[in-house]
Amino acid sequence: MKLQILVNGHAVEVKSEDLGGVVQVEPGVYSVLVEGRSFEARAIRNDAGIRLELDGRRFAAEVRDPRDRGQKSAAALGSGRQNVFAPMPGKVIRVLVREGDAVDVGQGLVVVEAMKMQNEMKASRGGNVVEVRVRDGETVSAGDVLVVLG
Amino acid sequence: MRVVRALRELDIVSVAVFSDVDRAAQHVRLADEAERVESYLDIDSILEVAKKHEAEAIHPGYGFLSENAGFAAACEKAGVVFIGPSADSIRRLGSKTAARILAKQMNVPVVPGSEEPATNLEHARELARKLGYPVLLKAAAGGGGKGMRRVDAESELEAAIRDASSEAERAFHSNEVYIEKVIEQPRHIEIQIAGDIHGNLVHLGERECSVQRRHQKIIEECPSHLIAATHPEMRAEMGEAALRIARAVGYHNLGTVEFLADGKGNFYFLEVNTRLQVEHPVTELVTGLDLVHLQLKIANGESIPFAQEDVKWRGWAMECRVCAEDPEQNFFPSPGKILQLREPAGPGVRLDSGVYAGWTVPLEYDPLLAKLVVWAPDRLGAIRRMLRALEEYSIVGVETNLEFFREILNDAQFRDGDLDTGFIADFFARRKPAPEPSPELELVVALAAAAHSRNEKLDAKNGKQETSHWLSEGRSEMLR
Repeated sequence: MKLQILVNGHAVEVKSEDLGGVVQVEPGVYSVLVEGRSFEARAIRNDAGIRLELDGRRFAAEVRDPRDRGQKSAAALGSGRQNVFAPMPGKVIRVLVREGDAVDVGQGLVVVEAMKMQNEMKASRGGNVVEVRVRDGETVSAGDVLVVLG
Repeated sequence: MRVVRALRELDIVSVAVFSDVDRAAQHVRLADEAERVESYLDIDSILEVAKKHEAEAIHPGYGFLSENAGFAAACEKAGVVFIGPSADSIRRLGSKTAARILAKQMNVPVVPGSEEPATNLEHARELARKLGYPVLLKAAAGGGGKGMRRVDAESELEAAIRDASSEAERAFHSNEVYIEKVIEQPRHIEIQIAGDIHGNLVHLGERECSVQRRHQKIIEECPSHLIAATHPEMRAEMGEAALRIARAVGYHNLGTVEFLADGKGNFYFLEVNTRLQVEHPVTELVTGLDLVHLQLKIANGESIPFAQEDVKWRGWAMECRVCAEDPEQNFFPSPGKILQLREPAGPGVRLDSGVYAGWTVPLEYDPLLAKLVVWAPDRLGAIRRMLRALEEYSIVGVETNLEFFREILNDAQFRDGDLDTGFIADFFARRKPAPEPSPELELVVALAAAAHSRNEKLDAKNGKQETSHWLSEGRSEMLR
């Protein structure tokens, strides 16, 4: 059986027998052997899917099991939408983009003020602004979606 | 934590105080006794706790009340030993302007600048000409960079004075502006000093803390590359200068005298910290001394058990301040719950950590989670060891600067020891985006995600069907 997994928006196919090289060594901690090379990954579930840490890097993954009903089409999977979250509670000082805008990696999206510090939320990759969920002056909580990139 | 450990080594009972959000903090878990206080700034209730628990002395740590002369005086009055300098020393060295005047009297170089505020443009021109451009305008009442302007030539002076004084007026209700010479690409180098109540004073060498973000240190080293590589004479010169200031106020206990250094062998007095500092472990690893033990001895009225010539510096130590913050978002604090934690260990690694898996990093305090300190025979060895320790270190649940440290430690300029206080800003300017993960890494992530997702489903099923021997068998089979 094949599983399709989205890793940071990239589709990766995995056969279930490949999981033989994966051992859970602690809750949420996986030792992975691939062709004799040893890795250790840490996984936690959040709203957006599974968040993993490997080799000091962070990854977002989504697992698509063909047996699951209501599965999205492959095209929708590849689109790789990305939510930009508020890192802590605060107030939106300025929204810098509009829906439909094309943005480059590193471009400022929303300025949020918290603990008397202004902070510009930046695009971690290029793309289009699919949705702007906040307005100037609005109060946001940690984890609120500010902008959706597509 | 650091203090509780030292006390236990000396068979002294420890009493921790904690605020509401710190009820489950490490220092409370580790201490012999513990008592709640309304706030760490509440002097009266801290002294009440001391009385109730019959404490003979109070160690103020390195935050909150550690540099508060009023607290030191209140301890003296209550008959409890304050583990630190006298209230009088704290008072005399605590004010930046008073300390600067004292330094000049003691023949310690300070950043050249005007002693009195510039009264008008003519006066300012005259002062700036005397100092030589570039100069820095600074709000007399200021701090935090407000009212600060760099002026490179006389033609810019008039507009800069106008801007700086109006900014100072708005921020501090005083439009007075001083003029100081700009020290180009300054390094932050500080001298650790120790004194006892019998008048013995020694310096324990320097620490270099030039790598800073938001004007706070994040990487500290002992020794300084500048001193070790090109200016070995500076250690004794700066050490002597620091001790002259300490001697002038009859200083006892530990302290740190901070300087700016310009890379050509010149150094300028900045300020004195009248307490144990966060970065003290790098000095401990290189000198072999335990500074908290030393503090306790001094507070107990004992003499420093060694002389200046006995102090030896061996090898290289480096510290990274591991913080819950996001370097990609201007080092914004990232409070939250730590879900998973793996800590580094092994040869030459010391971790002074205040956190554990399950601990919620509070919003209320500094985002410092741990101090990761390494020792090696030389600087390159320390960098390699630090990289190795950072790779072992994993904190899941909050954003941290662990990965950012790995980037800095791999930076060519950092490796060359070419540091100054603008290092982080320059680093961001030359930083390259992280390379795309390799297909192999993506495959590993996919495998781990698939295994995790499957385990979650099995857990959910297990929950529904009570205990199913069949399922747990199946699960262990799968995980083999």
